[in-house]
Amino acid sequence: MGTIKAVFDYTFREHVRHKVWLSAALFGLIMIAGALVTSALAQDERARMLLDLGLAANEAIALVSIVFLTVHLILQEIESRAVFLILTHPVRRADYLLGRFFGTLAAVGLVMAVTGLAHWGLLKAAGLLEGGSYLLAWACSFGKVAIMGALSLLLSLALTSEAAAMAFATFLWVLGHFTAEIRFLADKSASPAMRAFLMVAARAAPDFAHLNYRDAWHAGFPSASWIGAAALYCVAYSAACLALAVQAFDQKEF
Amino acid sequence: MNALSFKKVGKIYRRSHLGKTTETVGLVDFELDVPQGQVFGLLGLNGSGKTTAIKLLMGLHLPTTGDIEVLGRRVPDVEVLARIGYAPEAAYLNKLLTGRETLRLFAALSRIPAAEREARVEKILADVGLGHALDKRLGEYSKGMLQRASLAQALIHDPELVILDEPVTGLDPLAIKEVRALILWLKAKGKTVLFSSHDISEVERVCDRIGILSGGRLALVMTQNEWRGKADALESAFAATVKRTDGVGEIRLD
Repeated sequence: MGTIKAVFDYTFREHVRHKVWLSAALFGLIMIAGALVTSALAQDERARMLLDLGLAANEAIALVSIVFLTVHLILQEIESRAVFLILTHPVRRADYLLGRFFGTLAAVGLVMAVTGLAHWGLLKAAGLLEGGSYLLAWACSFGKVAIMGALSLLLSLALTSEAAAMAFATFLWVLGHFTAEIRFLADKSASPAMRAFLMVAARAAPDFAHLNYRDAWHAGFPSASWIGAAALYCVAYSAACLALAVQAFDQKEF
Repeated sequence: MNALSFKKVGKIYRRSHLGKTTETVGLVDFELDVPQGQVFGLLGLNGSGKTTAIKLLMGLHLPTTGDIEVLGRRVPDVEVLARIGYAPEAAYLNKLLTGRETLRLFAALSRIPAAEREARVEKILADVGLGHALDKRLGEYSKGMLQRASLAQALIHDPELVILDEPVTGLDPLAIKEVRALILWLKAKGKTVLFSSHDISEVERVCDRIGILSGGRLALVMTQNEWRGKADALESAFAATVKRTDGVGEIRLD
Protein backbone atom coordinates (compact mmCIF):
# COMPACT_ATOMS: atom_id res chain seq x y z
CA MET A 1 0.00 0.00 0.00
CA GLY A 2 2.90 2.33 0.77
CA THR A 3 4.15 1.98 -2.80
CA ILE A 4 0.72 2.62 -4.30
CA LYS A 5 0.37 5.72 -2.13
CA ALA A 6 3.81 7.02 -3.12
CA VAL A 7 3.04 6.58 -6.84
CA PHE A 8 -0.45 8.04 -6.30
CA ASP A 9 1.02 11.16 -4.67
CA TYR A 10 3.60 11.58 -7.42
CA THR A 11 1.00 11.14 -10.16
CA PHE A 12 -1.50 13.51 -8.57
CA ARG A 13 1.19 16.15 -8.10
CA GLU A 14 2.32 15.72 -11.72
CA HIS A 15 -1.19 16.24 -13.08
CA VAL A 16 -1.91 19.19 -10.77
CA ARG A 17 1.28 20.88 -12.04
CA HIS A 18 0.53 20.10 -15.66
CA LYS A 19 -1.41 22.87 -17.38
CA VAL A 20 -3.89 20.43 -18.95
CA TRP A 21 -6.17 20.28 -15.95
CA LEU A 22 -6.23 24.07 -15.51
CA SER A 23 -7.54 24.56 -19.02
CA ALA A 24 -10.03 21.74 -18.47
CA ALA A 25 -11.39 23.47 -15.34
CA LEU A 26 -11.58 26.79 -17.18
CA PHE A 27 -13.32 25.14 -20.12
CA GLY A 28 -15.76 23.57 -17.70
CA LEU A 29 -16.62 26.90 -16.16
CA ILE A 30 -17.14 28.44 -19.59
CA MET A 31 -19.42 25.57 -20.62
CA ILE A 32 -21.50 25.92 -17.49
CA ALA A 33 -21.82 29.68 -18.12
CA GLY A 34 -22.91 28.85 -21.67
CA ALA A 35 -25.48 26.46 -20.27
CA LEU A 36 -26.85 29.30 -18.15
CA VAL A 37 -27.19 31.61 -21.18
CA THR A 38 -28.83 28.89 -23.30
CA SER A 39 -31.24 27.92 -20.59
CA ALA A 40 -32.44 31.53 -20.28
CA LEU A 41 -33.86 31.25 -23.82
CA ALA A 42 -36.17 28.29 -23.00
CA GLN A 43 -38.40 29.53 -20.22
CA ASP A 44 -40.42 26.36 -19.59
CA GLU A 45 -37.62 23.83 -19.54
CA ARG A 46 -35.05 26.13 -17.98
CA ALA A 47 -34.37 24.03 -14.93
CA ARG A 48 -34.07 20.77 -16.83
CA MET A 49 -31.89 22.31 -19.54
CA LEU A 50 -29.52 23.89 -17.04
CA LEU A 51 -29.18 20.66 -15.10
CA ASP A 52 -28.68 18.44 -18.15
CA LEU A 53 -26.29 20.75 -19.98
CA GLY A 54 -24.17 21.33 -16.88
CA LEU A 55 -23.94 17.66 -15.96
CA ALA A 56 -23.24 16.71 -19.57
CA ALA A 57 -20.55 19.38 -19.86
CA ASN A 58 -18.89 18.22 -16.64
CA GLU A 59 -18.99 14.62 -17.82
CA ALA A 60 -17.70 15.46 -21.30
CA ILE A 61 -14.72 17.44 -19.98
CA ALA A 62 -13.89 14.71 -17.52
CA LEU A 63 -14.19 12.05 -20.21
CA VAL A 64 -11.82 13.87 -22.57
CA SER A 65 -9.39 14.43 -19.68
CA ILE A 66 -9.43 10.88 -18.38
CA VAL A 67 -9.11 9.26 -21.81
CA PHE A 68 -6.28 11.58 -22.84
CA LEU A 69 -4.43 11.30 -19.54
CA THR A 70 -4.73 7.54 -19.05
CA VAL A 71 -3.83 6.71 -22.66
CA HIS A 72 -0.65 8.76 -22.26
CA LEU A 73 -0.08 7.75 -18.66
CA ILE A 74 2.16 4.74 -19.09
CA LEU A 75 3.13 5.11 -22.73
CA GLN A 76 4.65 8.52 -22.09
CA GLU A 77 6.69 7.24 -19.15
CA ILE A 78 7.88 4.36 -21.31
CA GLU A 79 8.83 6.75 -24.09
CA SER A 80 10.64 9.15 -21.75
CA ARG A 81 12.10 6.10 -19.93
CA ALA A 82 11.10 7.57 -16.57
CA VAL A 83 9.54 4.16 -15.92
CA PHE A 84 13.09 2.66 -15.75
CA LEU A 85 13.90 4.34 -12.47
CA ILE A 86 10.54 3.46 -10.93
CA LEU A 87 10.64 -0.23 -11.85
CA THR A 88 14.29 -0.64 -10.81
CA HIS A 89 13.16 -0.03 -7.23
CA PRO A 90 11.26 -2.71 -5.27
CA VAL A 91 7.93 -1.81 -6.85
CA ARG A 92 5.49 -4.40 -8.10
CA ARG A 93 4.26 -3.49 -11.55
CA ALA A 94 0.66 -3.83 -10.39
CA ASP A 95 1.28 -1.32 -7.57
CA TYR A 96 2.85 1.14 -10.02
CA LEU A 97 -0.06 0.83 -12.45
CA LEU A 98 -2.70 1.19 -9.73
CA GLY A 99 -0.92 4.17 -8.17
CA ARG A 100 -0.71 5.90 -11.56
CA PHE A 101 -4.37 5.15 -12.35
CA PHE A 102 -5.80 6.29 -9.02
CA GLY A 103 -3.60 9.40 -9.00
CA THR A 104 -4.96 10.32 -12.43
CA LEU A 105 -8.54 9.54 -11.45
CA ALA A 106 -8.15 11.71 -8.35
CA ALA A 107 -6.81 14.61 -10.43
CA VAL A 108 -9.71 14.35 -12.90
CA GLY A 109 -12.10 13.95 -9.96
CA LEU A 110 -10.75 17.21 -8.58
CA VAL A 111 -11.58 18.97 -11.88
CA MET A 112 -15.06 17.41 -11.83
CA ALA A 113 -15.53 18.55 -8.23
CA VAL A 114 -14.57 22.14 -9.10
CA THR A 115 -16.85 22.35 -12.13
CA GLY A 116 -19.58 20.39 -10.33
CA LEU A 117 -19.49 22.76 -7.38
CA ALA A 118 -19.76 25.74 -9.73
CA HIS A 119 -22.70 24.14 -11.51
CA TRP A 120 -24.44 23.21 -8.24
CA GLY A 121 -23.90 26.79 -7.00
CA LEU A 122 -25.52 28.19 -10.16
CA LEU A 123 -28.54 25.89 -9.82
CA LYS A 124 -28.90 26.68 -6.12
CA ALA A 125 -28.62 30.42 -6.69
CA ALA A 126 -31.26 30.28 -9.43
CA GLY A 127 -33.58 28.22 -7.20
CA LEU A 128 -33.61 25.43 -9.79
CA LEU A 129 -32.35 22.55 -7.70
CA GLU A 130 -35.47 20.45 -7.31
CA GLY A 131 -36.30 16.82 -7.58
CA GLY A 132 -33.29 14.57 -7.42
CA SER A 133 -29.88 14.41 -5.79
CA TYR A 134 -27.12 16.41 -7.46
CA LEU A 135 -24.50 14.47 -5.51
CA LEU A 136 -25.83 11.16 -6.85
CA ALA A 137 -25.91 12.53 -10.39
CA TRP A 138 -22.31 13.71 -9.97
CA ALA A 139 -21.29 10.34 -8.50
CA CYS A 140 -22.80 8.48 -11.46
CA SER A 141 -20.85 10.70 -13.86
CA PHE A 142 -17.70 10.07 -11.86
CA GLY A 143 -18.40 6.34 -12.01
CA LYS A 144 -18.61 6.51 -15.81
CA VAL A 145 -15.35 8.45 -15.89
CA ALA A 146 -13.67 5.84 -13.67
CA ILE A 147 -14.81 3.05 -15.98
CA MET A 148 -13.55 4.90 -19.05
CA GLY A 149 -10.24 5.60 -17.33
CA ALA A 150 -9.67 1.93 -16.57
CA LEU A 151 -10.74 0.96 -20.08
CA SER A 152 -8.47 3.56 -21.72
CA LEU A 153 -5.53 2.37 -19.63
CA LEU A 154 -6.13 -1.21 -20.77
CA LEU A 155 -6.46 -0.13 -24.40
CA SER A 156 -3.23 1.91 -24.25
CA LEU A 157 -1.28 -1.12 -23.01
CA ALA A 158 -2.97 -3.59 -25.34
CA LEU A 159 -2.73 -1.48 -28.49
CA THR A 160 0.50 0.54 -27.87
CA SER A 161 -0.73 3.25 -30.26
CA GLU A 162 -2.08 6.30 -28.48
CA ALA A 163 -4.29 7.35 -31.37
CA ALA A 164 -5.84 3.88 -31.73
CA ALA A 165 -6.41 3.64 -27.97
CA MET A 166 -8.19 7.02 -27.87
CA ALA A 167 -10.28 6.15 -30.92
CA PHE A 168 -11.35 2.79 -29.46
CA ALA A 169 -12.06 4.37 -26.08
CA THR A 170 -14.33 6.96 -27.70
CA PHE A 171 -16.07 4.23 -29.72
CA LEU A 172 -16.69 2.15 -26.59
CA TRP A 173 -17.98 5.23 -24.76
CA VAL A 174 -20.60 5.72 -27.47
CA LEU A 175 -21.38 1.98 -27.59
CA GLY A 176 -21.82 1.96 -23.81
CA HIS A 177 -24.86 4.21 -24.15
CA PHE A 178 -26.56 1.79 -26.55
CA THR A 179 -26.07 -1.63 -24.94
CA ALA A 180 -29.83 -2.16 -24.57
CA GLU A 181 -30.27 -1.46 -28.28
CA ILE A 182 -27.39 -3.81 -29.15
CA ARG A 183 -29.01 -6.62 -27.12
CA PHE A 184 -32.31 -5.91 -28.87
CA LEU A 185 -30.57 -6.19 -32.26
CA ALA A 186 -28.91 -9.43 -31.17
CA ASP A 187 -32.28 -10.92 -30.20
CA LYS A 188 -33.73 -9.93 -33.56
CA SER A 189 -30.77 -11.13 -35.57
CA ALA A 190 -31.32 -14.19 -37.81
CA SER A 191 -27.62 -14.96 -38.15
CA PRO A 192 -26.09 -16.92 -35.22
CA ALA A 193 -22.68 -15.41 -35.93
CA MET A 194 -24.07 -11.88 -35.90
CA ARG A 195 -26.06 -12.65 -32.73
CA ALA A 196 -22.93 -13.95 -30.99
CA PHE A 197 -20.91 -10.94 -32.15
CA LEU A 198 -23.51 -8.48 -30.92
CA MET A 199 -23.87 -10.24 -27.56
CA VAL A 200 -20.09 -10.13 -27.07
CA ALA A 201 -20.09 -6.44 -28.00
CA ALA A 202 -22.92 -5.76 -25.55
CA ARG A 203 -21.07 -7.55 -22.74
CA ALA A 204 -17.61 -6.18 -23.49
CA ALA A 205 -18.65 -2.55 -23.83
CA PRO A 206 -19.43 -0.77 -20.58
CA ASP A 207 -23.17 -0.57 -19.90
CA PHE A 208 -23.79 3.00 -18.85
CA ALA A 209 -27.49 2.32 -18.28
CA HIS A 210 -26.42 1.15 -14.81
CA LEU A 211 -25.19 4.68 -14.08
CA ASN A 212 -27.89 6.70 -15.87
CA TYR A 213 -29.43 8.59 -12.98
CA ARG A 214 -29.91 11.80 -14.97
CA ASP A 215 -32.83 10.42 -17.01
CA ALA A 216 -34.58 9.35 -13.79
CA TRP A 217 -33.98 12.67 -12.00
CA HIS A 218 -37.64 13.45 -11.48
CA ALA A 219 -38.67 9.86 -10.69
CA GLY A 220 -37.60 10.32 -7.09
CA PHE A 221 -34.53 9.15 -5.19
CA PRO A 222 -33.52 5.66 -6.37
CA SER A 223 -33.58 2.64 -4.08
CA ALA A 224 -30.55 1.50 -2.11
CA SER A 225 -30.38 -1.62 -4.30
CA TRP A 226 -30.16 0.50 -7.47
CA ILE A 227 -27.38 2.58 -5.96
CA GLY A 228 -25.61 -0.56 -4.73
CA ALA A 229 -25.87 -2.22 -8.14
CA ALA A 230 -24.53 0.89 -9.86
CA ALA A 231 -21.57 1.12 -7.47
CA LEU A 232 -20.87 -2.61 -7.79
CA TYR A 233 -20.98 -2.50 -11.58
CA CYS A 234 -18.62 0.47 -11.68
CA VAL A 235 -16.13 -1.20 -9.32
CA ALA A 236 -16.37 -4.61 -11.01
CA TYR A 237 -15.95 -3.34 -14.58
CA SER A 238 -13.08 -1.02 -13.62
CA ALA A 239 -11.40 -3.78 -11.60
CA ALA A 240 -11.65 -6.19 -14.55
CA CYS A 241 -10.06 -3.64 -16.88
CA LEU A 242 -7.30 -2.90 -14.38
CA ALA A 243 -6.60 -6.61 -13.84
CA LEU A 244 -6.20 -7.10 -17.60
CA ALA A 245 -4.06 -3.96 -17.79
CA VAL A 246 -1.76 -5.37 -15.09
CA GLN A 247 -1.42 -8.59 -17.10
CA ALA A 248 -0.51 -6.63 -20.23
CA PHE A 249 1.96 -4.43 -18.33
CA ASP A 250 3.63 -7.43 -16.67
CA GLN A 251 4.65 -8.75 -20.11
CA LYS A 252 6.29 -5.52 -21.22
CA GLU A 253 10.03 -5.11 -21.58
CA PHE A 254 11.66 -1.69 -21.55
CA MET B 1 29.23 -15.16 -2.49
CA ASN B 2 28.82 -13.63 -5.92
CA ALA B 3 27.00 -10.32 -6.08
CA LEU B 4 25.79 -11.23 -9.52
CA SER B 5 25.96 -14.22 -11.78
CA PHE B 6 25.02 -14.77 -15.42
CA LYS B 7 24.75 -18.44 -16.45
CA LYS B 8 24.61 -19.06 -20.21
CA VAL B 9 22.34 -16.08 -20.72
CA GLY B 10 21.00 -15.32 -24.15
CA LYS B 11 18.72 -12.49 -25.19
CA ILE B 12 17.08 -12.20 -28.58
CA TYR B 13 14.84 -9.27 -29.46
CA ARG B 14 11.97 -10.23 -31.73
CA ARG B 15 9.92 -7.66 -33.56
CA SER B 16 6.91 -8.54 -35.68
CA HIS B 17 5.56 -6.18 -38.30
CA LEU B 18 3.04 -7.04 -41.00
CA GLY B 19 3.63 -10.76 -40.57
CA LYS B 20 7.41 -10.47 -40.77
CA THR B 21 9.53 -11.17 -37.70
CA THR B 22 13.03 -9.78 -37.32
CA GLU B 23 15.44 -11.00 -34.67
CA THR B 24 18.28 -9.03 -33.14
CA VAL B 25 20.83 -10.67 -30.91
CA GLY B 26 21.34 -8.89 -27.60
CA LEU B 27 23.46 -11.43 -25.74
CA VAL B 28 24.81 -14.90 -26.61
CA ASP B 29 25.97 -17.48 -24.06
CA PHE B 30 26.84 -14.73 -21.61
CA GLU B 31 28.59 -16.06 -18.52
CA LEU B 32 29.89 -13.77 -15.79
CA ASP B 33 30.39 -13.91 -12.02
CA VAL B 34 31.18 -10.79 -10.05
CA PRO B 35 32.17 -11.39 -6.41
CA GLN B 36 30.90 -9.08 -3.69
CA GLY B 37 33.02 -6.02 -3.07
CA GLN B 38 34.49 -5.95 -6.58
CA VAL B 39 34.37 -3.12 -9.11
CA PHE B 40 33.68 -4.61 -12.53
CA GLY B 41 33.71 -2.64 -15.77
CA LEU B 42 31.84 -3.65 -18.91
CA LEU B 43 33.45 -2.35 -22.08
CA GLY B 44 32.17 -2.62 -25.60
CA LEU B 45 31.13 -0.77 -28.70
CA ASN B 46 27.62 0.60 -29.16
CA GLY B 47 25.23 -2.30 -29.60
CA SER B 48 27.60 -4.85 -28.06
CA GLY B 49 25.16 -5.80 -25.29
CA LYS B 50 26.29 -3.76 -22.28
CA THR B 51 22.94 -2.12 -21.61
CA THR B 52 21.13 -5.39 -22.38
CA ALA B 53 23.15 -7.13 -19.67
CA ILE B 54 22.33 -4.37 -17.20
CA LYS B 55 18.62 -4.34 -18.07
CA LEU B 56 18.49 -8.11 -17.59
CA LEU B 57 19.97 -7.66 -14.12
CA MET B 58 17.35 -5.04 -13.26
CA GLY B 59 14.41 -7.06 -14.54
CA LEU B 60 13.60 -4.56 -17.27
CA HIS B 61 14.22 -7.32 -19.82
CA LEU B 62 13.65 -11.06 -19.51
CA PRO B 63 16.34 -13.49 -20.69
CA THR B 64 15.52 -15.71 -23.66
CA THR B 65 17.77 -18.44 -22.25
CA GLY B 66 19.86 -18.96 -19.13
CA ASP B 67 19.65 -17.80 -15.53
CA ILE B 68 20.66 -14.68 -13.71
CA GLU B 69 21.22 -14.36 -9.98
CA VAL B 70 21.68 -11.15 -8.07
CA LEU B 71 22.68 -11.19 -4.40
CA GLY B 72 21.65 -14.83 -4.16
CA ARG B 73 18.21 -14.40 -5.73
CA ARG B 74 17.07 -15.42 -9.18
CA VAL B 75 15.91 -12.43 -11.20
CA PRO B 76 13.47 -11.00 -12.01
CA ASP B 77 12.81 -10.51 -8.32
CA VAL B 78 11.16 -7.40 -6.88
CA GLU B 79 12.55 -7.85 -3.36
CA VAL B 80 16.22 -7.89 -4.37
CA LEU B 81 15.78 -4.48 -6.04
CA ALA B 82 15.74 -2.97 -2.54
CA ARG B 83 19.43 -3.91 -2.28
CA ILE B 84 20.46 -2.57 -5.69
CA GLY B 85 21.04 0.99 -6.79
CA TYR B 86 20.78 1.72 -10.49
CA ALA B 87 21.60 4.85 -12.45
CA PRO B 88 20.93 4.71 -16.21
CA GLU B 89 23.01 6.51 -18.83
CA ALA B 90 20.67 9.49 -18.82
CA ALA B 91 18.65 10.97 -15.95
CA TYR B 92 15.15 9.73 -16.74
CA LEU B 93 13.44 11.84 -14.11
CA ASN B 94 10.12 13.67 -14.08
CA LYS B 95 10.94 17.35 -14.68
CA LEU B 96 7.76 18.57 -12.95
CA LEU B 97 8.97 17.46 -9.52
CA THR B 98 11.52 19.19 -7.32
CA GLY B 99 14.74 17.49 -6.24
CA ARG B 100 13.30 16.93 -2.78
CA GLU B 101 10.02 15.48 -4.09
CA THR B 102 11.87 13.19 -6.49
CA LEU B 103 14.09 11.76 -3.79
CA ARG B 104 11.14 11.48 -1.41
CA LEU B 105 9.40 9.36 -4.03
CA PHE B 106 12.40 7.08 -4.47
CA ALA B 107 12.95 6.89 -0.73
CA ALA B 108 9.35 5.70 -0.35
CA LEU B 109 9.72 3.24 -3.23
CA SER B 110 12.94 1.95 -1.63
CA ARG B 111 10.95 1.25 1.57
CA ILE B 112 12.91 3.67 3.74
CA PRO B 113 10.77 4.17 6.88
CA ALA B 114 8.75 7.39 6.80
CA ALA B 115 10.41 8.73 9.95
CA GLU B 116 13.85 8.59 8.32
CA ARG B 117 12.96 9.72 4.84
CA GLU B 118 13.26 13.48 5.08
CA ALA B 119 16.64 13.36 6.80
CA ARG B 120 17.99 10.88 4.25
CA VAL B 121 16.68 12.91 1.32
CA GLU B 122 18.35 16.08 2.56
CA LYS B 123 21.60 14.27 3.32
CA ILE B 124 21.91 12.46 0.00
CA LEU B 125 21.11 15.58 -2.00
CA ALA B 126 23.70 17.51 0.01
CA ASP B 127 26.21 14.66 -0.50
CA VAL B 128 25.84 14.85 -4.29
CA GLY B 129 26.18 18.64 -4.22
CA LEU B 130 22.51 19.52 -4.72
CA GLY B 131 21.81 20.87 -1.23
CA HIS B 132 21.15 24.33 -2.67
CA ALA B 133 18.67 23.05 -5.27
CA LEU B 134 16.44 20.86 -3.10
CA ASP B 135 13.25 22.76 -3.85
CA LYS B 136 13.90 23.63 -7.49
CA ARG B 137 12.03 21.70 -10.15
CA LEU B 138 14.15 19.25 -12.12
CA GLY B 139 13.15 21.12 -15.26
CA GLU B 140 15.45 23.92 -14.05
CA TYR B 141 18.41 21.62 -13.40
CA SER B 142 21.42 21.48 -15.70
CA LYS B 143 22.48 18.19 -17.25
CA GLY B 144 25.16 17.73 -14.60
CA MET B 145 22.67 18.38 -11.82
CA LEU B 146 20.24 15.85 -13.29
CA GLN B 147 23.01 13.24 -13.40
CA ARG B 148 23.69 13.92 -9.72
CA ALA B 149 19.99 13.60 -8.89
CA SER B 150 20.01 10.29 -10.76
CA LEU B 151 22.99 9.12 -8.70
CA ALA B 152 21.25 10.27 -5.53
CA GLN B 153 18.20 8.07 -6.20
CA ALA B 154 20.55 5.15 -6.84
CA LEU B 155 22.28 5.60 -3.47
CA ILE B 156 19.62 6.88 -1.08
CA HIS B 157 18.80 3.42 0.25
CA ASP B 158 22.47 2.43 0.81
CA PRO B 159 22.43 -0.48 -1.64
CA GLU B 160 24.87 -3.41 -1.56
CA LEU B 161 25.21 -3.47 -5.34
CA VAL B 162 25.47 -0.32 -7.45
CA ILE B 163 24.95 -0.52 -11.20
CA LEU B 164 25.90 2.47 -13.34
CA ASP B 165 25.19 2.54 -17.05
CA GLU B 166 27.79 4.76 -18.73
CA PRO B 167 28.16 7.08 -15.75
CA VAL B 168 30.75 9.41 -17.33
CA THR B 169 29.23 9.87 -20.80
CA GLY B 170 28.72 13.53 -21.55
CA LEU B 171 30.27 14.78 -18.31
CA ASP B 172 32.96 17.45 -17.98
CA PRO B 173 36.41 16.46 -16.62
CA LEU B 174 35.60 17.71 -13.12
CA ALA B 175 32.40 15.68 -13.00
CA ILE B 176 34.23 12.62 -14.33
CA LYS B 177 36.75 12.97 -11.52
CA GLU B 178 33.91 13.13 -9.00
CA VAL B 179 32.26 10.00 -10.42
CA ARG B 180 35.60 8.21 -10.21
CA ALA B 181 35.95 9.28 -6.57
CA LEU B 182 32.41 8.05 -5.92
CA ILE B 183 33.13 4.61 -7.36
CA LEU B 184 36.31 4.28 -5.28
CA TRP B 185 34.42 5.45 -2.19
CA LEU B 186 31.72 2.82 -2.79
CA LYS B 187 34.42 0.19 -3.14
CA ALA B 188 36.04 1.30 0.12
CA LYS B 189 32.65 0.82 1.81
CA GLY B 190 32.53 -2.77 0.58
CA LYS B 191 29.91 -2.22 -2.11
CA THR B 192 29.96 -4.08 -5.39
CA VAL B 193 29.96 -1.82 -8.42
CA LEU B 194 29.16 -2.80 -11.98
CA PHE B 195 29.41 -0.13 -14.59
CA SER B 196 29.49 0.04 -18.34
CA SER B 197 31.58 2.50 -20.27
CA HIS B 198 33.19 3.45 -23.54
CA ASP B 199 35.95 5.26 -21.66
CA ILE B 200 38.90 2.89 -21.33
CA SER B 201 41.00 5.36 -19.34
CA GLU B 202 38.32 5.65 -16.66
CA VAL B 203 37.70 1.93 -16.51
CA GLU B 204 41.35 1.03 -16.04
CA ARG B 205 41.70 3.52 -13.17
CA VAL B 206 38.93 2.15 -10.95
CA CYS B 207 38.14 -1.44 -11.91
CA ASP B 208 39.37 -4.66 -10.34
CA ARG B 209 38.28 -6.59 -13.43
CA ILE B 210 36.85 -5.71 -16.79
CA GLY B 211 34.87 -7.61 -19.38
CA ILE B 212 34.89 -6.77 -23.08
CA LEU B 213 31.69 -7.43 -24.97
CA SER B 214 31.60 -7.95 -28.68
CA GLY B 215 28.55 -8.95 -30.70
CA GLY B 216 26.63 -9.93 -27.57
CA ARG B 217 29.39 -12.22 -26.30
CA LEU B 218 31.72 -11.72 -23.38
CA ALA B 219 34.84 -11.97 -25.49
CA LEU B 220 37.50 -11.26 -22.88
CA VAL B 221 37.81 -10.80 -19.12
CA MET B 222 40.92 -9.17 -17.71
CA THR B 223 42.13 -8.62 -14.17
CA GLN B 224 43.85 -5.51 -12.94
CA ASN B 225 47.35 -6.94 -12.97
CA GLU B 226 46.99 -7.59 -16.72
CA TRP B 227 46.84 -3.86 -17.50
CA ARG B 228 48.23 -1.95 -14.48
CA GLY B 229 51.63 -0.53 -15.22
CA LYS B 230 51.47 -1.62 -18.87
CA ALA B 231 50.86 1.34 -21.11
CA ASP B 232 47.92 0.91 -23.52
CA ALA B 233 47.50 -2.76 -22.56
CA LEU B 234 43.76 -2.43 -22.08
CA GLU B 235 43.27 -0.35 -25.21
CA SER B 236 45.23 -2.84 -27.31
CA ALA B 237 43.27 -5.75 -25.88
CA PHE B 238 40.03 -3.89 -26.56
CA ALA B 239 40.94 -3.09 -30.17
CA ALA B 240 42.04 -6.69 -30.79
CA THR B 241 38.85 -8.12 -29.30
CA VAL B 242 35.95 -6.07 -30.60
CA LYS B 243 34.45 -6.33 -34.05
CA ARG B 244 32.49 -3.51 -35.60
CA THR B 245 28.93 -4.48 -36.35
CA ASP B 246 27.60 -1.01 -37.24
CA GLY B 247 28.70 -1.14 -40.88
CA VAL B 248 31.28 1.64 -40.38
CA GLY B 249 34.79 1.04 -41.74
CA GLU B 250 38.13 2.17 -40.36
CA ILE B 251 39.54 5.64 -40.99
CA ARG B 252 42.27 5.37 -43.63
CA LEU B 253 45.44 7.33 -42.99
CA ASP B 254 47.35 7.00 -46.29
